[in-house]
Amino acid sequence: MKISMPEKWDVEYDVVVVGWGSAGTAAAVTAHDQGAKVLILEKMANGGGNSSICGGNIIIPKGKEFVEYLNTLSFKTTEREILEIFVEEALKNGDWIREMGADVQVFRPLEVAYPTMIGGAGFPKVRGAETVVKYNIKGTPEEGKPSQRLWTFLSRIVAKRGIKVLTRTPVKELIPNAQGEILGVLAESEGKPISIKARKAVILTCGGYENDPRMKWDYLPVKPAMFLGTPGNTGDGIRMVQKIGADLWHMTRLSCLIGFQAPEFEAAFWVAFLSEGFIFVDKYGRRFVNEAGIEIHEYYQELSYFDTEKMEFPRVPLWAVFDEQTRRRGPLSRGTAGYNRDLYSWSLDNSAEIAKGWILQGKTAAELASRISADPKALEETIARFNRHVKAGKDEDFGRPREDLRALEAPFYAIQLWPALINTQGGPRRDKESRVLDPDGKPVPRLYAAGELGSIWGYLYQGACNIGEALVFGRIAGKNAAAEKAWS
Amino acid sequence: MRIPMAGMVLAEREFIVNATPDRVWRLIGKVIFSVLPGMESMEILDENNFRALLRVKMMGFEWVLKLKGEMVDISPPESFSVRLLLGGLGGLVKADQKVALVMTPMENGKTSVACRAAAEGMGVLQRVFLTGQARSFARQTFEAIEKRLKELA
Repeated sequence: MKISMPEKWDVEYDVVVVGWGSAGTAAAVTAHDQGAKVLILEKMANGGGNSSICGGNIIIPKGKEFVEYLNTLSFKTTEREILEIFVEEALKNGDWIREMGADVQVFRPLEVAYPTMIGGAGFPKVRGAETVVKYNIKGTPEEGKPSQRLWTFLSRIVAKRGIKVLTRTPVKELIPNAQGEILGVLAESEGKPISIKARKAVILTCGGYENDPRMKWDYLPVKPAMFLGTPGNTGDGIRMVQKIGADLWHMTRLSCLIGFQAPEFEAAFWVAFLSEGFIFVDKYGRRFVNEAGIEIHEYYQELSYFDTEKMEFPRVPLWAVFDEQTRRRGPLSRGTAGYNRDLYSWSLDNSAEIAKGWILQGKTAAELASRISADPKALEETIARFNRHVKAGKDEDFGRPREDLRALEAPFYAIQLWPALINTQGGPRRDKESRVLDPDGKPVPRLYAAGELGSIWGYLYQGACNIGEALVFGRIAGKNAAAEKAWS
Repeated sequence: MRIPMAGMVLAEREFIVNATPDRVWRLIGKVIFSVLPGMESMEILDENNFRALLRVKMMGFEWVLKLKGEMVDISPPESFSVRLLLGGLGGLVKADQKVALVMTPMENGKTSVACRAAAEGMGVLQRVFLTGQARSFARQTFEAIEKRLKELA
């Protein structure tokens, strides 16, 4: 595709950063501190992206053995030398944050909910798992949730430097010259095109495609998938790099929980249970998994089973079936993370959501089955069988641990759940210097990427690594971009 | 093991569980929330903060009190504390407690669990009227924790 060079640039900067979250901030601040004149372009009304609404945790590993852990998780989808650079730099994440004027605290939650948010490794049996330590920006709950504290910190260090930020300014095209060097971007501001010259480089940090239905349908292993994060991540960066001939990687990868999609809301609600009294069933009312044993970011592994006879994903949507005790134990959706966090306050006993019809109820299993269009006999048998296993202290079907079992007692409730993305991981392939690569493995001159757009997480995902990676490769991209020789 | 704590001690308990400290750590969070006496509902504010409504009997009547909890001094798998702020009855009830749990590894993969609750902030009137209630709450909680941990271990 031919993208024409503007006759005259509207504005000029050394480094243009596209997208303002963790990666964009780390890139912009680093480039600025190396002496570059930096512009950040953000298409949304505010910066933050997923960084401001996620769990807010940052990986700072305990040692270099973390490379082994990540190498196993990557399943050969990311070159070891990239993982080595990541770990080397991630060890410095805490120092960088302190240098920037904040501090970190270890994230050590008590594991009280299902799915369980854990402080350590998501895959504890993998070599190097003991090196996983998550941190967040030090502060009290009164100072905001961890991701709010993170964004307060990140936006402050940009403001402190006087780095220019243009919000509501989506970037539409990268502008290459005949040799393929990226010389600037074409953006849109107040409905008008604006050409921005990047004398040194462009850094793409504009996130994934979790809010682009077409891309999700094309690439993701489970369909459909809702989103929990920012509506701003619509795959813009991916389309831009495709047009200039960059290679893509990790396009099928995702960080995926479970969520409820309310018709009135754009994003899904992250759902978790505060009591053992719940099970997951497929469309037909059958259990299919140890509900307490799914790694929190890897739900799609269980939900992506495709029935080739019925030609469907029988677990999409799934239903969580629970009882009165679980209903009363606390809200199914917590206000800790997700785009809806500040848009809706879930009722403490879930009664408001029952009244809205978000949660369905039945006096008996058969009555509930009729409400969720499942086979009444199947659901009755599923619950009866589960309760027999609980009584025996052993889940013979799926091995759910004894401590995570409690018999379900009528009346019953159900909530419809979908695969719900925190983020996707795919985008332009990059090297250890954060340079975007073409399909021959050659760097696209003057083009860098960092963060969720083409992240280095190519197979299994370890929690807290997206922000850790955004900070690491944001810094690397910022440093290298600032070191480029300006073109004239 | 004696847990050093400031404040007036309300209850102490020590018991041995037939499980490793790692396993006890994995169980303990969910166990505590499932055994708090009189718990009506609970809301997790973030991974270390929660609030709950407790239904308790006091002075012959049943009352609903608000409980706010914060996990502090968390050091897995050895120890953690919960700071509990109890309030209700239009401000008449106000109590600040700290509950500490220490898990110590023993031979044969067993773990010694030591629990201690201390009142940290109570006025004189509160102390007169609420101490008995607070002691009973702490004692019942520790007994229930022991029972449930032993069941699961």
